[in-house]
Amino acid sequence: MSGMFRSALRSVMASRSRFVLTGAAIMLSVAFLVATLVLSDSMRGRAADDIAAALAGTDAVVQGVTLGASDGGPGELGGSVRRALGPDVAERVAEVDGVAGAAPQWIGFAKLVVDGSSVGTGTATDVGRNWIADPVLSPFRLAAGRAPVEAGEIVIDRSLASAAGVEPGDQVQVLTATGMHDATVTGVATYAEADTAPLQRTVLLPDAAVPGWLDAEAPTEVVVDIAEGSDRAEVIGLLSELPGVEVTSGPDHVRTMQDAATSPLQFLTVFLLAFAVVAVLIGVTIIFNTFSLTVARRRRESGLLRAIGAERRQVLGGVVVEALLIGAVATVAGLAGGIAGVGVLRWLVGLTGVTLLTGPSIVSSTSIVIAATVGVGATLLSAWIPARRAAATPPIEALRDSAAEPRVVSPVRTAVGLGLAAVAIAGGVTAVARTSTTWLLLAAAVVPALVLCGPAIVTAAARWSAPVARRLAGVRGSIAAGNLATSPRRASSTALALMLGTAMVTMFAIVASSLTNAVGSDVREGLRADLVVTSATADFPTIDPTLAGRIGALPEVTSVASLAIAEGIVDGQPTAVGGIDPSVLPSMFDLDPVAGDLGDLRSGGVAVVGDDPTLLGDTVVVEFERSTLEAPIVAVVARSTGGFDAPAHFVDRRALDASVGGLLDALVFVDLADGDAARAEAAVRELVRATPGSFLSTRAEHVANSGSEVDAFRNFIDGMLYLAGFIALLGVANTTALAISERSGEIGLLRAVGATRRELRRIVRLEAALLSFVAAAIGTAVAIGFGWALIEVTGGTDLPSVVVPWVRLAVTLGVAVAAGVAAAAWPAYRVSRVPVLELVSRGR
Amino acid sequence: MSPHPHSDVLDSTVLGPTAQDPDVLDRGSEGTHRAGADDAAAMLVGAVKRYGSGSSSVVALDDVTIAFPAGRFTAVMGPSGSGKSTMMHCAAGLDRLSSGRAFVGNTDLSTLDDRELTTLRRERIGFVFQAFNLVPTLTAEENICLPSTLSGRRPSAAVLDQVVSMLRLGDRLHHRPTELSGGQQQRVAVARALVARPQVVFADEPTGNLDTRTGQEILGFLRSAVDLHGQSIVMVTHDPNAAAWADHVVFVVDGRVHDVVDRPSADTVLDVMKGLGR
Ligand SMILES: Nc1ncnc2c1ncn2[C@@H]1O[C@H](COP(=O)(O)OP(=O)(O)OP(=O)(O)O)[C@@H](O)[C@H]1O
Ligand SMILES: [Mg+2]
Repeated sequence: MSGMFRSALRSVMASRSRFVLTGAAIMLSVAFLVATLVLSDSMRGRAADDIAAALAGTDAVVQGVTLGASDGGPGELGGSVRRALGPDVAERVAEVDGVAGAAPQWIGFAKLVVDGSSVGTGTATDVGRNWIADPVLSPFRLAAGRAPVEAGEIVIDRSLASAAGVEPGDQVQVLTATGMHDATVTGVATYAEADTAPLQRTVLLPDAAVPGWLDAEAPTEVVVDIAEGSDRAEVIGLLSELPGVEVTSGPDHVRTMQDAATSPLQFLTVFLLAFAVVAVLIGVTIIFNTFSLTVARRRRESGLLRAIGAERRQVLGGVVVEALLIGAVATVAGLAGGIAGVGVLRWLVGLTGVTLLTGPSIVSSTSIVIAATVGVGATLLSAWIPARRAAATPPIEALRDSAAEPRVVSPVRTAVGLGLAAVAIAGGVTAVARTSTTWLLLAAAVVPALVLCGPAIVTAAARWSAPVARRLAGVRGSIAAGNLATSPRRASSTALALMLGTAMVTMFAIVASSLTNAVGSDVREGLRADLVVTSATADFPTIDPTLAGRIGALPEVTSVASLAIAEGIVDGQPTAVGGIDPSVLPSMFDLDPVAGDLGDLRSGGVAVVGDDPTLLGDTVVVEFERSTLEAPIVAVVARSTGGFDAPAHFVDRRALDASVGGLLDALVFVDLADGDAARAEAAVRELVRATPGSFLSTRAEHVANSGSEVDAFRNFIDGMLYLAGFIALLGVANTTALAISERSGEIGLLRAVGATRRELRRIVRLEAALLSFVAAAIGTAVAIGFGWALIEVTGGTDLPSVVVPWVRLAVTLGVAVAAGVAAAAWPAYRVSRVPVLELVSRGR
Repeated sequence: MSPHPHSDVLDSTVLGPTAQDPDVLDRGSEGTHRAGADDAAAMLVGAVKRYGSGSSSVVALDDVTIAFPAGRFTAVMGPSGSGKSTMMHCAAGLDRLSSGRAFVGNTDLSTLDDRELTTLRRERIGFVFQAFNLVPTLTAEENICLPSTLSGRRPSAAVLDQVVSMLRLGDRLHHRPTELSGGQQQRVAVARALVARPQVVFADEPTGNLDTRTGQEILGFLRSAVDLHGQSIVMVTHDPNAAAWADHVVFVVDGRVHDVVDRPSADTVLDVMKGLGR
């Protein structure tokens, strides 16, 4: 064994450059994978631990009856929209036998404002909640100062305190649903031991401030401490008998909260993992190709050795040991690099605006084991499969065999692939026709279809491209096109890596541009107001509700219209409902009425966004926290007010306030009087600037900004793509190097009969360009089809139409080809420096 | 055109080691109308080729001076490892000499850079290897035309037709090398070497892998290219019967030119070989 090990080591050292490339591929894949796992663990693990610790003393939680799942919002971390509890629920809970303590928890919107500007940006929400005095039930603990007692006193979480540079005793302001309030910080609190509750910035208020600040009639929930010695299940059963409540046990509640806190990260994790999978796939491709060639070369040698009596194990076992050696070294390097690289990934994620990733990384042994298994396992498998195949060849055949793989493409393989492709297309078409996600799953069969058809595609591509290549580059073109077909299996596996890469870019580009379009088009077409006041975050309204009135009072302003948005449940689905003043808003934002009269909203009607005028007269039931709104449809409008959470229904503002309460404005539209527009704008700007949580844009700016959230997301995707692309390029470089070493005799011959170094390099680059182009083009085509079906099926009203960003796709395609050519440049250069005769004799 | 084989001008192709001046080479070629070095299609002067360095170094060519006359068929023979292939490679610009000079016509190969050397190979030299002569991705016709196409030209249709019909390749032109027999492949390689009408064709054991009849066929083609078109050909062979097709035979032993036999027959060649003790 040690002899085998030593000879494996010698062989690795002998073909160093090839193995450096292979090793680099494994290393990068492992690094990418482990960084992704560590990052998602860190994000998830810290949040989950913190929640479990903070809620450790809570035995049960009494909440309102669930109306439906929520799209998110402050105080709705539980992930559902619930009917409000009765005002006296806390007392009733306390009276139940076995309850040792019960504390009402009021949760609403509260944003800390220091020196006129709000504290904290990013995706976390601003939450105001009452301070629970009972230390068993309170998730927060005082770290400094004292608890708030009087209205006007607050405690803030430690990360807010450090972000704002505030200490107990400082004077601050708090923006809530009822406007701006002056406050004194009396203390700083931690969420269990953590600086902040996951995804939240918390301001803690005394009970006395709750009615005036949070504008709530009843607590959001009641947290319950069950007495020692009582039967918990029994107490929970008793609690459940109270009218209009749902009771959750402590552990269940913790789990729900954990899920809710980590679910916004879920999609990031999914994206990251998808990229990691692509990276690993590309890595495996590279390793597999390398070892296939190594084995094929050794096969002749092994045929000879076996013909003179060596056992097959003695001959090919070395290859596996070699793989183990490379796999292990590269994996260790990859693990180290990946853990160190978490910071890079963090920075990338930061491009989306997710800023909660503070604190140390959690490197779990599971992450290490998964990544290491993938690294070493993939390498071993990639060596073992070709080694087995070679060992199965009879010695004489192996002797006769050339190093090249057979050129014939198995027709069975292609037929199965074509069958799968047909299934995928049929699935996609059916999915679109029936708007069914289940059928869409069938469309995913396109990936195995591509894997199976790959060699046939490459062969066909070589055949079809030959005349074109010949016209463009003469005999060099024919050679390059022909070379593609010499090892269709290897070419296709490289192409697959590239295909996957481009397909992902394309998919994201299509989704992103469709999103941008959906988010932006209503604003582009409907906005009439001169100025627009927007909230701090697109997801959640943060405009002081008194601001609209103050702007309206300015002499330079002719009219003002505000928009409030609340979440309600319609037909069991969460729906954004807009509250407007129907007499003012339509002149500032053209909702494009299709049927009916928006003025009838005043008499208690509902307007729906859609294009079906026959909806008029139907009754809509919207369930809100405080009440159920049942109203006839009096108008159908074609447009909503734009943005991610644009309302799908509109009601009169007063009706919405009555049904929900505690609403801030999402948008305020302002029309200026004729005259000095610059001065008028300046006057409004001054007011808005003095109001934290609100921002002023002109009409043009607002149009331009709508969809900018999507752009931030796109930055992140781009960043990931550079990483995946880099690995794919290693693949191209590797394949090119392998192809060259396999064909050195032929290359030597070309040189001997008069191809100059330049021409040789051009042939090699042309071949890489052809392969990259075929792969990128197919990837793009598949992604357009799949992306289109995906959006058609799942887009709904959020993504009404598919927008294919042709220019961007063309650029991507161009970049992929250029990058492929660049990746081939080094091996091409290397081979062109080798003396002619050496090449010729290598081929023998 | 060129004289009949075994004609009159086959003297002193081997020169003394001191003869450095190309003009000296036309000594004894007065029978032709051409003058000076033009009579040598290719030439080595004081050629030394050393492989490796230090104690393990091998001297493959040891001060060889030889001219391969234009319009003639020269065979090169000698024991294995004697330096025949090395000599061909250096004369054909595939490899560089350690010292001494190699000429193709009047061109001193040592003065050319890689690019010029490559251009020279495709325009003025034809080369036939023992095996693996063809680019597998190209058809027979494309392979035949490869050197010309690389120079951005097409061989004249007349010459192509002539060569193709002489080598009886007409019906195989659109096949790829894998679809051709070994003999056919070698014929394609010969066609490629001949079609551009290069100044000199080098063939290193072109019939080494073929059965006797197919080999004879190829030799016949080479012979007629010399006879009909005045083509200059230098061929390495181990087979006295093959050497008998040549106008003269150069014997190489231990990196030196040992002997030259004019108008050889299989028997005379065999005699010399026996004289070499092998
Ligand atoms: N690349 C090389 N490196 C080192 N030595 C070499 C190399 N090529 C040839 N030689 C040595 O140079 C000498 C001449 O080799 P060459 O190939 O010219 O012989 P040859 O006459 O063609 O033999 P054969 O009839 O077997 O083909 C031999 O001793 C050989 O070992
Ligand atoms: Mg030889």
